[in-house]
Amino acid sequence: MRRWTVRTHLAGLVALAAVACARGEHAPAAGPAVTDDAGRRVALAVPARRIVSLLPSFTEILFAIGAGHRLVGRTAWCDYPPAALAVPSVGDGIPPNVEAVAARRPDLVVLYRSGQNATAAEQLERLGIRTVLLDLNRLEELAPAARRLGVLTGRTAAGDSLARAMDSLVSQSPESPTPSPVSLVFLVWDNPPIVIGAGSYLDRLAGLAGARNVFHDIAAPSAQVSIETIAARNPDFIAVLSDTAAPPRYAGRPEWRVVPAVRKRRFLFLPGGLFGRPGPRAREAVRELRRRLDTTP
Amino acid sequence: MKYVVLAGAALATLAAALLVGPANLPFADLPGSAIVWQLRLPRAVLAFLVGGALGVAGTSLQALVRNPLADPFLLGLSGGAGLGAVAAIALHLPGPWALPLAAFVGAVGAMALVYRLGLMGGAELDPRILLLGGVAVGAFAAAITTALVSLAQATELRNAFLWLWGGFSGASWTTVLVMLAYAPLPLGVLVASARPLDLLALGEEPAQYLGADVRRLKRVVYLAASLLTAAAVAVAGVIGFVGLVVPHLCRLVWGRLHRTLLPTAFLTGGILLAAADTLARTVVAPRELPVGIVTALLGVPVFAFLLRRWTVS
Amino acid sequence: MDRELIVALRGVTCRYPDAARDSLVSVSLELPAGELHAVLGPNGSGKTTLVRAALGLVPLVAGEVEILGRPAHTWSRRALARLVGVLPQREDNLFPQRVRETVLLGRYPHLSLFGGVGATDRAAVDGALAACDAADLADRWLWTLSGGEYQRVRLARALAQEPRLLVLDEPTASLDLRHEMELFELVRTLVDAQGLGVLMITHHVNLAARFADRVLLLSEGRPAGAGAPGDVLTRETVERVFAWPVSITPFEDRPQMTPLRLRKEAR
Repeated sequence: MRRWTVRTHLAGLVALAAVACARGEHAPAAGPAVTDDAGRRVALAVPARRIVSLLPSFTEILFAIGAGHRLVGRTAWCDYPPAALAVPSVGDGIPPNVEAVAARRPDLVVLYRSGQNATAAEQLERLGIRTVLLDLNRLEELAPAARRLGVLTGRTAAGDSLARAMDSLVSQSPESPTPSPVSLVFLVWDNPPIVIGAGSYLDRLAGLAGARNVFHDIAAPSAQVSIETIAARNPDFIAVLSDTAAPPRYAGRPEWRVVPAVRKRRFLFLPGGLFGRPGPRAREAVRELRRRLDTTP
Repeated sequence: MKYVVLAGAALATLAAALLVGPANLPFADLPGSAIVWQLRLPRAVLAFLVGGALGVAGTSLQALVRNPLADPFLLGLSGGAGLGAVAAIALHLPGPWALPLAAFVGAVGAMALVYRLGLMGGAELDPRILLLGGVAVGAFAAAITTALVSLAQATELRNAFLWLWGGFSGASWTTVLVMLAYAPLPLGVLVASARPLDLLALGEEPAQYLGADVRRLKRVVYLAASLLTAAAVAVAGVIGFVGLVVPHLCRLVWGRLHRTLLPTAFLTGGILLAAADTLARTVVAPRELPVGIVTALLGVPVFAFLLRRWTVS
Repeated sequence: MDRELIVALRGVTCRYPDAARDSLVSVSLELPAGELHAVLGPNGSGKTTLVRAALGLVPLVAGEVEILGRPAHTWSRRALARLVGVLPQREDNLFPQRVRETVLLGRYPHLSLFGGVGATDRAAVDGALAACDAADLADRWLWTLSGGEYQRVRLARALAQEPRLLVLDEPTASLDLRHEMELFELVRTLVDAQGLGVLMITHHVNLAARFADRVLLLSEGRPAGAGAPGDVLTRETVERVFAWPVSITPFEDRPQMTPLRLRKEAR
């Protein structure tokens, strides 16, 4: 009787141990794992094979690190590189259409970290789909994003290489520091006037291109100011995010013409795809900005 | 004597608006500066006109609905204006005047709707129906606005809401001239209704017995006050508290007879709003606060003070 | 001597919009200058409607209303306000005001659109206050007045209109004995001394009987009796209209009504 009891207990213990080891084999210690910007640990069994990207910059990064062919879904705004257009769209992504994303049966969804997206991520996780939330507001956040996407796709080396390129861009000094750099203002709205301040991507681009953002003293990424302030600071150029070169509608209004740059029609039209958000083409954006500053009369 | 003080305050406020600003111009440069002539002066004048319009509209509406808590924006006009503005941006309507015109049309649409509701079932613009109708129309417009915002592109519409919060950054001589051409008619109508409005305070039946044509008076005052408010919103967004607090302040000092109350409400509203705009421009320089926020921040303590006086008496 | 008729209702039937039945049926009344007419009747008998019909505020189904010989609806509100001073049952008081200010509202029908308040207006206000024995109240705030004082002030406002006809809708409803008597005496004096016509709605049958020249008794919108108080206020009529046993006894040549208690049989 006692020997039977001991043997049963021993068998039970062995069974438990076997199960534990088996579980250990499925433990994510072998698969790629990162901590995303929402503080969550994102662990995959194997590198992601079917990826949905919900931000154009992430789409660009994925293509840049050689994982573009694994994309099964993108937003309607993702138009670079041209190969991305072949990937099916899952809507404009604001807010993300959870059903459309799920229909692509991805094993990883890459989202920009925001309140709306946090909710969408939670819903996708409930469906068993892994999600990663990444910040991408400032130039400095490109490198960590590239690194982590590299890990999650098994393209770690490519990811690190892109990250290093981004880091070097961040730490470089302006291409040609001049004693009196060209000044500009980034005007995103006219009524009321909204300008871009320090800490934002555009402000950094301006600095790297050797230009001075006249509102660099405002700590916030964007702020409302009066026309008078813009006129008083008298920037050489007014930079607007626009895919066309049409003069903005406020250019003809008498109160705006107090600003010399408006009067002289010194506008810089910066395409949204390249300048709207940090992306792997940041270096190209800096060069393009520099070129336009040098060539616009 | 009180009038002298009021006139002095008006001049002082206008002067401050001209002298003070983020550009920090030296005094000698002021007369010739384009900033003063093209930016500060039209802006100060417009703020004055809009504040005056809101003060008069608020006074008239409080008499019309016989409710001291009435504000020009209680009648659904702000919801209508917001809807118009958001629609203009969502539909990408062209031209610099698309936004103010759309806001005006939206406000007038809301006014017409509330007016129609107020006449339903022979109600003859019963104040309670006007107020309830205004709340309902405002909520309805807000719902459509939210739907538009959720369906369309997000960033531009966020800026539309900033505009809606009230501001004079778009002030120009053109807007000033439009206000100067437009406002005198509804203002004149309201001032001519001053004595009948005094009578209306007794109640509609007693007012009729004292010679007021109450039916006509209610319609005329409602339309004139709403049109004034619609114009104010179109040029400056939704600026709260001015129309609510100014009538009470003026009643404290000048009593409740509208012949005196309406002109002083115009001046007081103008002074308050011009001063609020100057603060909005300078307090967080180089940034700017929306004027509607400044009037709310100033208006709430003033309103609390008035409430205390009210309950004490 | 035929004094001029200020207001005359002849066979007036009227109904409020959306009402199920007529509020007044075939009511007639002729009020010359210098007479005090009382309108009596139970609640809902149409007394206030009579006032409104007399002033052209309720559409007529039948009959006619004439004021100074002209149909009521041809008078503008302002012109009518210079002729008739009305004390409705209720009025609002939205914002604090002083007595002098509220009495001045009675001058508004006389003020031109852009004209100011002149010496005649101020004199009329002072005269009205004096006539109502309210001159010492002139600078008081309305909300500090007692019920009796407030009614006197309202009466002064109506007098400031310099009317030829006064219409009073239950002016003594919440007043105590002394103030009620004072008001009736005051009104009677105005009729006798200034030749005003007065149409008064009241619940106080006995005082109406003593002070009024003629009485109109209404019952469910119909006239139950019109004429001198002694002719109208008989026991049969009063008991029928008010649905309560009463005893009528003369006092100073006027009938005085005493309601009986239910246990006693009316004789």
